[in-house]
Amino acid sequence: MAAAFVLDRASILERLGGDEEIYAMMVDMFVADVENNCTALATALAAGDVESLKRAAHTVKGLLATFSDDDGAVEANFVEKNAREDELANLGPAVADIQSRLREVSAVLSAGQA
Amino acid sequence: MHTVLIVDDSDINLTLIKALVLKLGECSPVLFDRPVAALEWCRDNVPDLVIVDYMMPEMDGLKFIAAFRALHGRNEIPMLMITANDQRDIRYEALLGGANDFLTKPIDRIEFSARARNMLSLRTGQKFLADRAEHLAALVDERTSEIREREKELIFRMSRAAEFRDPETGAHIQRMAHYSQIIARGLDLGPAMEKLVLEAAPMHDVGKIGIPDYILLKPGKLTPEEFEVMKGHARLGYELLKDSGSEILRAGAEVAMSHHEKYDGSGYPFGLKGTQIPQLGRIVAVADVFDALTSERPYKRAWSLDDACRFLEEGRSKHFDPLCVEAFLAGWEDILEIRQRFRDEEVPQI
Repeated sequence: MAAAFVLDRASILERLGGDEEIYAMMVDMFVADVENNCTALATALAAGDVESLKRAAHTVKGLLATFSDDDGAVEANFVEKNAREDELANLGPAVADIQSRLREVSAVLSAGQA
Repeated sequence: MHTVLIVDDSDINLTLIKALVLKLGECSPVLFDRPVAALEWCRDNVPDLVIVDYMMPEMDGLKFIAAFRALHGRNEIPMLMITANDQRDIRYEALLGGANDFLTKPIDRIEFSARARNMLSLRTGQKFLADRAEHLAALVDERTSEIREREKELIFRMSRAAEFRDPETGAHIQRMAHYSQIIARGLDLGPAMEKLVLEAAPMHDVGKIGIPDYILLKPGKLTPEEFEVMKGHARLGYELLKDSGSEILRAGAEVAMSHHEKYDGSGYPFGLKGTQIPQLGRIVAVADVFDALTSERPYKRAWSLDDACRFLEEGRSKHFDPLCVEAFLAGWEDILEIRQRFRDEEVPQI
């Protein structure tokens, strides 16, 4: 289980060149997209669609990395790398962890915007 | 203004990259979340920079780069591919497959700006060189065209100089040159050769410059000795024009030397037969004789067109190359148009 997400606003902003405007836009989009991303992961897993699951995990990995969530990115990377026919049945908990992580990060980011 | 194409299936990435591109200044981003739709756009539009994600549905970044590069004129457009940090093999493959550079996720603005600016500088350089090359080509074409026009004018005036010493007229030169061109067209010699024939034919009698007036302007029939001197104009014309750096003048030399040869070997100066006679000479012989026959001169009346055509037909394989006669008669409508266009006028006195 990954450690609780801690918002490191300074490092994210540094990567965005200190641009508050872009940062705010990214946060809004992340928050707005969280449920879509959770659904994409769950649907791909339920359908046994290896490629879609791999791609959804890859997208989430990038999103979490954008907000400097290295632990969350590692979880998503695990699903991306292990998304194979013979492993799908075992990936349920890992996918659920990512979904929780996405919602957690979303909540922290939203709070940080308030 | 640079057009920057961004292809990524993630809306948040598209938005981020678009914002970063706008921060570069002087850039207009074009966004696609589907690579296939982006490729369609690229068929009719040329971006200055392409930024493409690696992992996308329908078509991954590597396939997109290959498909983009395969489009005509898109081989040098800078391309950046976005990959995750742990995709080193993909980055190598992208560089080998046509990407110019890559960006790693999460995207860092400083790195993004530096790499994107480098790529846009590369594009600016490419455009500058292309514009310059195009400008230089146009300039060379313009100057070359001026030189060629001047060369043609000099040739025409030189030919006129020879004709002034003769009852022939400037219109004769124009007519016989255009008749020659019609024959060349009938022989399927191609546009370049047709043009060369048109430009070289006027020089056929330039050697008359070296023939004494008492022979050249003699009103009556020449004695055998005088005729021998007169025949010398073929060699004189050749000597005047040979070894020139100009293709037209070299062709003129060939015309001058060979236009009095006859197909059956009874002509001069060498008595060449059939295809021994240069093709230019065989062409010009038909055109020159036809125009001389159908033109009025102080010492003769103009032949009728029918009589002149009969003379050419009877001269097949004797005086004339039969193929040249055939080509001439096949272009009869054009021959008549040339006759109308270049009518004889009073020759200016020197």
